[in-house]
Amino acid sequence: MSKENTLNRFDELDAGRILGDLTSNETSEWQLLARDNENSNYIDLELLATELELQFTQPCDLSSSLSNKLADTIPAFSNKNKQKSATQIISILPWLGWATAACLLVLFNIPESSIPSAVPELTYAQKLDSLTKEAPETQRLAFSPASDPYNNISGEVIWNDERQEGYMSLVNLPVNDPTQSQYQLWIVDPERDELPVDGGVFDISSGSETAVIPIRNALKVFKPVAFVITLEQPGGVVKSKQEIVVALAKS
Amino acid sequence: MHFRDYILFSNIRSFEIALGIMPPSESQGSNKTYLLPLVAKGDEAAMKKCIDSYGSLVWSIVCRRINERVDAEEACQEIFTEVWRIASRFNSKVSKESTFIGMIARRRSIDWQRKQNRLPALSTLESLPELSSSNAQSIHSLDRNEIWEKLRTLPEDTLTLFSLHFEKGMTHEEISKETDIALGTVKTKLRRGLIEARKLLKEFSDGKGVSL
Repeated sequence: MSKENTLNRFDELDAGRILGDLTSNETSEWQLLARDNENSNYIDLELLATELELQFTQPCDLSSSLSNKLADTIPAFSNKNKQKSATQIISILPWLGWATAACLLVLFNIPESSIPSAVPELTYAQKLDSLTKEAPETQRLAFSPASDPYNNISGEVIWNDERQEGYMSLVNLPVNDPTQSQYQLWIVDPERDELPVDGGVFDISSGSETAVIPIRNALKVFKPVAFVITLEQPGGVVKSKQEIVVALAKS
Repeated sequence: MHFRDYILFSNIRSFEIALGIMPPSESQGSNKTYLLPLVAKGDEAAMKKCIDSYGSLVWSIVCRRINERVDAEEACQEIFTEVWRIASRFNSKVSKESTFIGMIARRRSIDWQRKQNRLPALSTLESLPELSSSNAQSIHSLDRNEIWEKLRTLPEDTLTLFSLHFEKGMTHEEISKETDIALGTVKTKLRRGLIEARKLLKEFSDGKGVSL
């Protein structure tokens, strides 16, 4: 192969690398050519591809949970050696209180009933009730089924813009197997974005006809006009293909 | 609407924000204070600002390719870990900060996608170009409007493929289905289109003019 042909071939493969479409064989070929190709050190093609992509990239706000996760990782960046222990400390913290209490129980054989209990946490149903009573401007929308297997579904969504708090009260939503699929709520807020905001992933376990589910909006929403429940893969998705739309509530 | 119309008339906002390749907060002034050199020195506050400034950009790039939320968040963390690790390679004469970070985000998220298809990762390849190296005629030296003005002279089918790939984030397979063009042809046309675009821009930056 002439030098010019080699350069052309390298360019084509490098474009493939940048576009992410190299096959395994092409990857090996790229590596081979990159070793001999003096132009392989330049990234102009990759810069161009990045700029073309960024041209059409509308920055999309990070959820507060991810933003916090990233910020929490910074101290670990600064000292790699401490990274593991730092992570361990973070993950252990929530359990520390319970572990201490358990140790005390074992060591001193304290009857469980004698330990002062914390202020009882309200159930979601109670929180929903409280939100409705305390915040009169709270929005209430009825859910209606969106596809055949879910025809028996009913319920409503309760949402308060100011508090950024809301709940769904769902009746007859079929039980799901979380290892196979999970329900996910989407909040449609045209004032915010044309893409719906993730409202959280949830499961319906057996034994309850009516389930009260808290809304866990990843981003702040301003004036939601619709709430959509879809069935997604375990863990939820970033963008729903809306292959299985379960129920819809709209104003 | 054709892609070139789209570029001309309907994407002013992203024109302003992105090919500028920077979030709205990123100044273009020559006396700009860059975050990455501070990050390279281990400045945690600068890293925090970096996440605040570019997190949404990275997230958008990641979400184009990774649909599972857990995976997307993990990729995002990996990307910022890499930003921290190689911030010293940033060269303001070669790229803007957002381009540098965008490039890392692209590499990582493409690799994630390839992993799903059991293809070898690319960002770990030996001989991968350094993020600090560039030809003298770097596109960074060109005005963004001039870049797009020149790219409009690419063949229309190339611009259509660019639109589907870069704008809509479609995979080659999806483009093939959408356009009824054979997969191999999509792949070849995209690769050659990218090379042609670089050639155009280099010729333009050299002041040679282009005749197509």
